[in-house]
Amino acid sequence: MTTLTCARARVLLEGYVDGDLALTDPDTAKAVRDHLTTCADCRRQHEQAVSLPFRMKALRSPAPPESLVAGVMSSIAPTPQGLRRAWGLLVPEALLGAFILWYLSGVDGLTALASGAWSDLQGLAVWGSGSAPLPNIPAVDLLLLAAFIALTSLAAYHLSVLARLDQPAPPHIREHRRA
Amino acid sequence: MHAQAAAEALPVTGTPDARALAAGQLIRQATGGDLAAFEEVVRRMQRRVYGFAYQHLRDLDEAHDLTQEIFVKLYRNLARYDADRPFEPWFWKLAANTTINYRRKRVPMPTDQSADHPLSGDDAARSAHDPVLVDALAQLDPAYRLPILLHYYADLPLAQVAQSLNLSVPATKSRLHRARALLRNSLAEAEEAGPK
Repeated sequence: MTTLTCARARVLLEGYVDGDLALTDPDTAKAVRDHLTTCADCRRQHEQAVSLPFRMKALRSPAPPESLVAGVMSSIAPTPQGLRRAWGLLVPEALLGAFILWYLSGVDGLTALASGAWSDLQGLAVWGSGSAPLPNIPAVDLLLLAAFIALTSLAAYHLSVLARLDQPAPPHIREHRRA
Repeated sequence: MHAQAAAEALPVTGTPDARALAAGQLIRQATGGDLAAFEEVVRRMQRRVYGFAYQHLRDLDEAHDLTQEIFVKLYRNLARYDADRPFEPWFWKLAANTTINYRRKRVPMPTDQSADHPLSGDDAARSAHDPVLVDALAQLDPAYRLPILLHYYADLPLAQVAQSLNLSVPATKSRLHRARALLRNSLAEAEEAGPK
């Protein structure tokens, strides 16, 4: 008959409790059983090992706070205000687009715009080198340039808003914290 | 079939067939972008996930944050869920990874905190039904606490715990045995020391 030390028996205890030891090594399982009949300390450890899974399953946790579900949903759902702001941006964008299209008035307008912009740039370059006075740029070209800049900025902002709506915001961590 | 697995993850009242159908439909709808269905998924799973987070972190606020992070991550990753596979191991793998990352970001570590700063009266009262076990769990290394909680608290079978933690089944079993032995020693020592 195999006799076990307490240290050895305790190492084998989990496998013994699970029943694995009896399947893989019946003789050692019997030795553990015999040891338990004679050792009160190891018997206490065995009782702990047997009761542990039940105690773990019975472990009680506090109920989740009422705000949990709302917090999760507000973290992932786009807000109506954000949506309104996103759609509202379409109005100035459409107005600017309409103005630019009206100005360009087809391919002729586009060609005129390109050649005008090129000559403006050349004039600015010459002025920059100090060999000529500041060119006389038509006010409507400046207006068009400002419209382009405004449209580009608005469109970039609009895209960023839409991207944020598409991607859920990070959870509002610690908003619920107790005072 | 995923509907059956999802039903296990989403305990609801009613006949088993109705439960499986409802839970399966919810997961499908949520995966398709149905926010109301996702909200219902969160509602049904919140107690289990929050309990898991609380037992792991032992702090109500941190448990709230972690639970919220797990559900937000679930929503963001729903498109990656393969509806032909069981929902439960996939979800708990995501939850385990989120928990590990959450702990990495978190300073100080909860074991240090629990050792140096005992739980508030409120927290202590909530866990007073088995304070010895709660203390023993808190002292456990997170690498052992996570499989223990997934197996015994979240009630995942061994194979699913292994899958959730990216471990082999024998490695998971070995880790569970080691964790149980450590807990058993702590419980025995606490018992010898007598009631606090």
